[in-house]
Amino acid sequence: MSQAAQKATLAPDPDSETGAVAMLAVTADDELYGFPLSSVREILVPPPLTEVPRAPAPVLGIIAVRGQIITVIDLPKILNLRVEQRAPCGRVLLVDTGEELIGVAVDRVIQVYRMEPRQIEYASAMGTELSDYVLGIGRLASTPGTAEEMLILIDPLSLLGRFK
Amino acid sequence: MSDPRDNVQQEFLAEAHELVEALSRDLLLLDEAQHRNERPQPALINEIFRSVHTLKGIAGMFGYRHVGAVAHALEDLLDDLRLGRISVDERVLDLLFDSVERFQRLLGLEDPQSPEEEAGVRAYVEAVRSIGHAAHEEQGDPLDRYAIGAAVLSVLTEYEEHRLRACIREGLQLFRLRASFNLTAIDDSIETLREVARDDAEIITYLPSMEGGNEETIELVVLLASRVPEHELRAHFEGRYGTIEPVEERTHLPTLPPRRTSIPSAAPSMAPAPEDDALHASARSVADSVRVDIRKLDHLMNVVGELALVRSAVNRIVDHFKGQSVHRQSVTDLDRVGRVFERQLSELRAGILDVRMVPLGQVFGKLARIVRQAAREHGKEVRLVVTGANTEVDKLIVEELADPLMHLIRNAIDHGIEQSGERTLANKRLEGTLAINAYHKGSNVVIEVEDDGAGMNPHEVRDAAIARGLLSAEASRELSRQEMLNLVFLPGLSTSSQITGMSGRGVGMDVVKTNILRMGGMISIASELGTGTKVTITLPITLAIIRALLVTIASRTFALPITAVREAIPYRPRDVRTIDGREVMTLRGETLAICDLARLFGFRRPSRREGRFIVVGSMGNRELGFVVDQLQGQDDVIIKSLGKSLSSVRGFAGATDLGDQKVALVLDAPALFSEYFDGPNVLRAMETSP
Repeated sequence: MSQAAQKATLAPDPDSETGAVAMLAVTADDELYGFPLSSVREILVPPPLTEVPRAPAPVLGIIAVRGQIITVIDLPKILNLRVEQRAPCGRVLLVDTGEELIGVAVDRVIQVYRMEPRQIEYASAMGTELSDYVLGIGRLASTPGTAEEMLILIDPLSLLGRFK
Repeated sequence: MSDPRDNVQQEFLAEAHELVEALSRDLLLLDEAQHRNERPQPALINEIFRSVHTLKGIAGMFGYRHVGAVAHALEDLLDDLRLGRISVDERVLDLLFDSVERFQRLLGLEDPQSPEEEAGVRAYVEAVRSIGHAAHEEQGDPLDRYAIGAAVLSVLTEYEEHRLRACIREGLQLFRLRASFNLTAIDDSIETLREVARDDAEIITYLPSMEGGNEETIELVVLLASRVPEHELRAHFEGRYGTIEPVEERTHLPTLPPRRTSIPSAAPSMAPAPEDDALHASARSVADSVRVDIRKLDHLMNVVGELALVRSAVNRIVDHFKGQSVHRQSVTDLDRVGRVFERQLSELRAGILDVRMVPLGQVFGKLARIVRQAAREHGKEVRLVVTGANTEVDKLIVEELADPLMHLIRNAIDHGIEQSGERTLANKRLEGTLAINAYHKGSNVVIEVEDDGAGMNPHEVRDAAIARGLLSAEASRELSRQEMLNLVFLPGLSTSSQITGMSGRGVGMDVVKTNILRMGGMISIASELGTGTKVTITLPITLAIIRALLVTIASRTFALPITAVREAIPYRPRDVRTIDGREVMTLRGETLAICDLARLFGFRRPSRREGRFIVVGSMGNRELGFVVDQLQGQDDVIIKSLGKSLSSVRGFAGATDLGDQKVALVLDAPALFSEYFDGPNVLRAMETSP
């Protein structure tokens, strides 16, 4: 309805039985992140953000999406990756955190990757450096001649944890 | 939307609980009447009968055997009450009140057929039966005095016959009204007649007369009982309805037609039921209303919001073409259609909001039982007086109110109202009074919980706060009487077991306050030692839509609920002084505290110091001036809650969509007030305490 709301055609994960997960790859601050496709409801061209005074640091502001007020957070900030202010984001993902839809500001939406279990290294198997918000690291099959790329896989269910 | 059977089951439970609540409310009224030594209104007993009857019906359908059995026994008891075979006394009331608890427990059972309940239910049914069968003997038939034809008497229902006898016994005069009614609208006309007659007379029955009708009309003979003299009734009814004449008293004894056997009429539709009291509306509403999930209404409201966006899109198109010479007529037409659309839309919005409104009586009913129970526990005599039960507020508010009110009532009875011995010594009425008053005030609803108990000693409250380490003795010295009382709202004061003996309010006043504030309301307490305590709750009528003042603070738009705004005045920096680290100014001889919102919110201070405004907010008896940059004007805004992700952020009641995808935060005036006034105070007290 609203011209800024651009619905992405998100296909359900076709191979869920084989353990493959569909991940939506996005960039934020030159970093690649992946969200389980099943948790992404919508991709929006961001409407004007309304700043919320005294909100926790990762909160960029609020937007209205079809009558509902959505909190928009900055992905790098919630991962404690960066502190300073950043230019307005390019897209907002509406992510279902299980309790609440949260807007996640990203720079660009890249594409959907289907990742086999062997491509994913879970955070629990790694050191403590990674934040609680990370499911793990996804390694993209590199094509000859290019460097291997990594996706930081975000656990949508944990996004609300920061605020509690 | 899982198992459709589950849904049906949920529907049943919701309806059953509603019926039990209605029953509980009506019992309270009955109890009240009993306390005043009044005869219970027939309409009230009918209402109770109806609730129980409906409950029995639906319980049967859903296999709630125990509920059905209890309802069935009660139905018989109520029928005896209705027909005057037994009268209302403490024993009957106890059984009736007991049924409410019992129904609720039985409805909550995992297994509605549970054999463990068998014995309890049977004992209850026995107890009810034993009362019911102590039927009373009639002493001489008063009907004999009147010349009412056997043909008429034979068609009266047992209930009508009972009312007829009762009216005669009470010394009412009988009249016959002959009136013509249009056949097509006869039901409405009779309803109107009931309304008209209500104050002056009771309609016993109406029967078609053998004469005077034609194809379109029918003449009815209406049998009325009234205390009003004949000429007044004439003035009232004749001309409007038809002729009225007294029923002659007869001198010789007639032979009565044989009495019909007692069959409780399932739907006492002929009962003269002046259903004016909103408390009575509930049972009726079960029949002709739809239960709607509040989320569906929220959804509709969102759709309305979407339509508003369509409307502004159309506006933009019109604006775009207005300056051009092409399609001038079409643009004008489009503009007009757009306006019509907007008008209808606001009507739709108002309509949806209206659906959300329910009478406060829904929550008061629950309280009736608490009052009775708490009074029992303490061996105190307490009379509950409710006014304004039909005051309407948003459904969400009604639900949120139940807990806070329950706390207040418990407190009033536990700590406020004295034992009757003490009351006698204090020269008070033996029976304590607990009053709940509700009324609209502007776009707020005010609820007062007032008792005529011992009142609170502000110094004791203060001492308790000091003893609990919530306040330093030093800080307490500056406190006014009212400020000492306000300490009851501090968390921590209430949980102590040591102070339950205090005449103050123990349990969870801080919780009560938090709940009320969360709804955007205010709570205040007033107490006079020896006279009683009054807690006043002020709430917005609806959580969904408010009138707001839109203001600019550091280039951002905020909405301030108009209910909290008293006035707006120009801000003159030279009038402002700093006292105790706080900015204040003098307004009409009074000191007004000033809160610079830009600074509070951590915005960089705008360079401009002149041309700003102070919006004077008022909450209860406090005032606070909010400094803002600009006033944009008033608007009706729909408040949307902020997500849980922002629940830790203070000062905002929600946000509102201003259209064109712009969102403004709605300031939470009560929270800002309490942050400004209470926050630092409490902190200061904490810091200095040992």
